[in-house]
Amino acid sequence: MSDVTKKTGQTRREFLKTMAIAGGAAAAGGLGFPAVLRAQPKEIAIGQIHPLSGFLAFDGQELANGLKLAVDEINAAGGIKSMGGAKLKILTGDSEGKPQVAIREVERLYKAGAVAITGCYQSSVTLVATQIAEKFKVPFVVSVAVDDKVTGRDFKYTFRVQPNARQMSRDTAQYLSEIIKASNSNAKTIAYLHDDTAFGTSLSGHVKDFAPEYGLEVIEDVPYSPKSADVTTEVGKIKAAGADLVMDTGYFGDGVRVYKTMRDVRLQCQGIVGCGNGAFSHPKFIDELGDITENVLDGNYRVNPLSQMTQKALAHYKEVYGREMGASTVFAYVAPYVIADALERAGTSDRAALRDALAATNITEHILPQGPIVFDESGQNKNAAAAMMQIRGGEIKVVWPKKYAQTDPLFPVPELG
Amino acid sequence: MNASFVLQSMINGLLIGGVYSLVAIGLNMIFGVMKIINFAHGSLMMVGMYVCYWAVRIGTVDPYLSIVLVIPLLFVLGAILQRFLINPIIDAPEHNQLLLTLGVSLFLENLALFLWSPDYRVLQTGYASVNFYFGDISLSLVRVLAFIISMIGTVILYLLLTKTDLGKAIRAASEEPVGAMIVGVNVRRIYVVSFGIGAACAGVAGAAVAPFFPVYPTVGGLFVITAFVVVVLGGMGSFVGAYFGGLIIGMAESMGAIFLPASMKSLISFVIFVLILLFKPSGLFGGKS
Repeated sequence: MSDVTKKTGQTRREFLKTMAIAGGAAAAGGLGFPAVLRAQPKEIAIGQIHPLSGFLAFDGQELANGLKLAVDEINAAGGIKSMGGAKLKILTGDSEGKPQVAIREVERLYKAGAVAITGCYQSSVTLVATQIAEKFKVPFVVSVAVDDKVTGRDFKYTFRVQPNARQMSRDTAQYLSEIIKASNSNAKTIAYLHDDTAFGTSLSGHVKDFAPEYGLEVIEDVPYSPKSADVTTEVGKIKAAGADLVMDTGYFGDGVRVYKTMRDVRLQCQGIVGCGNGAFSHPKFIDELGDITENVLDGNYRVNPLSQMTQKALAHYKEVYGREMGASTVFAYVAPYVIADALERAGTSDRAALRDALAATNITEHILPQGPIVFDESGQNKNAAAAMMQIRGGEIKVVWPKKYAQTDPLFPVPELG
Repeated sequence: MNASFVLQSMINGLLIGGVYSLVAIGLNMIFGVMKIINFAHGSLMMVGMYVCYWAVRIGTVDPYLSIVLVIPLLFVLGAILQRFLINPIIDAPEHNQLLLTLGVSLFLENLALFLWSPDYRVLQTGYASVNFYFGDISLSLVRVLAFIISMIGTVILYLLLTKTDLGKAIRAASEEPVGAMIVGVNVRRIYVVSFGIGAACAGVAGAAVAPFFPVYPTVGGLFVITAFVVVVLGGMGSFVGAYFGGLIIGMAESMGAIFLPASMKSLISFVIFVLILLFKPSGLFGGKS
């Protein structure tokens, strides 16, 4: 026992408490000693499933980096204190970007003893992974997956911090209308270019539905395949629509290609606005295309740039990995904090107890531009909100809502006129 | 739908079609001579893109000059593949070779993933931002150059095949390997050279698109599937077929996207693919060469 105490570095009081519990358990079960060792492991395994190889490997590895950073921070700060300073350990599963692989990986992580799992970046993969997790009764904290259906199936074990497609599109439409109003512009019509997967179609569909509510109107809607080598024709259709605003949703690689093409064909409008765009709020987008990315807008998930905690997290990420933390990576970073918070309150690594603790989450100290992190019945973060970003002076700045803004939006965008 | 928009789509289709042509010609060369369907072709193109990328980043070479480096490197890589991996099993059933090239492709992609991470890398060159405008129509310099390079590559290869002894030997080995052997052509060596040339074509195509296309380990897949369609359209083993096939598919894709929902763009090439296989399996230009 004294050996255990030394390793976990307990205080005298905690030690006495442990002894008392051990005594009680021993009295109750007769086999108390080993039971205590099991109930208070020195390591708690958290599983992750991300696309670490395959066509989304870049995105997947960024997420894995964010996750690892947070786990290291939690461990460095003393681990899970209510469990004797137990440390978190990551068990890694590679989805390869394929739903069928993720099914296998959830099962493997479950058997390897993961108390909770996080993932998966793609909605298609997350939908099946959460389903298997539900079957095994493993809490699943979604890192990134925007599809509404992820938390729309009455699952008990699925939790999601990031804004879903509906929240993201609604916020983007709302912020856009407010920016238009604030700048006395007359912009109203939107031409929407988006990838033809569930990602682009769901976001653009929601924007179309919400637009009238905010005095906007989607007059052209053009899907493209993220796998095509050339998107000139699709961009041409958007240009021909002559709308006041051009909106765009896509993944990173195709997002870069699309934007470059828009500028090559001299698309004219009051602003190019992303909605959940995989490229527009990624620092690498600016690295790659340089000056022409200036003033691009994007309604997306984001950190609260004004919080001290955020500054620290971003600086730490940059120090460790030598680059800026991408918008998606933020949620892979937040996930272990949410799990750790629940573990702290549950005081046990029992999955059902952890699930109940997650359902009762109420985190006020965090790095997101929203109120407290609270999950509703379905497991969706009730207060999740997007922010409107704009690239200014080669940096991604939050420009709306005012409460979290680093600078005022520049609208209409002059060089597109 | 105005005329300049249609024209713009046509021109862009033509330009990207030129690149498809060069990729397909390399693929077709390997198929024509050895009857091997080279699944590693896209990966070889990816290697060409990385060679160009690193030559620019480390050697600060002009991206278009890096082609001088890409050609010998990819030629040697292709020759090694043929000499040490494919030649030993050249007499085995065809599907064995097909599976082997698939294995090589997976190996190269994962090696690239390991060595260079899955990052999207974009060449920062002054060329990329140069556009020519004719009224409403824009022409991007890097795309035009990619087209021109592909055309030069095609012409050189055509001259090599038709005017030189080596070319004659390649064509002989392709049409009648036993006969070629009888008249003293070292067919196995011709195979090595042909695979090398095919790989170099893929590499040059890679270097030609690198200035306007992000480089990442699985990028080859975007082009090689189209290249398969081009080869079937033009006729398996037909040089001229692969050339015009590339231009046709490039145009068909971009023109099709005007009239159909854009996500049906790839459908067009595959519909062509199936129709050709059904009604003219020898391809548009097949059976002549």
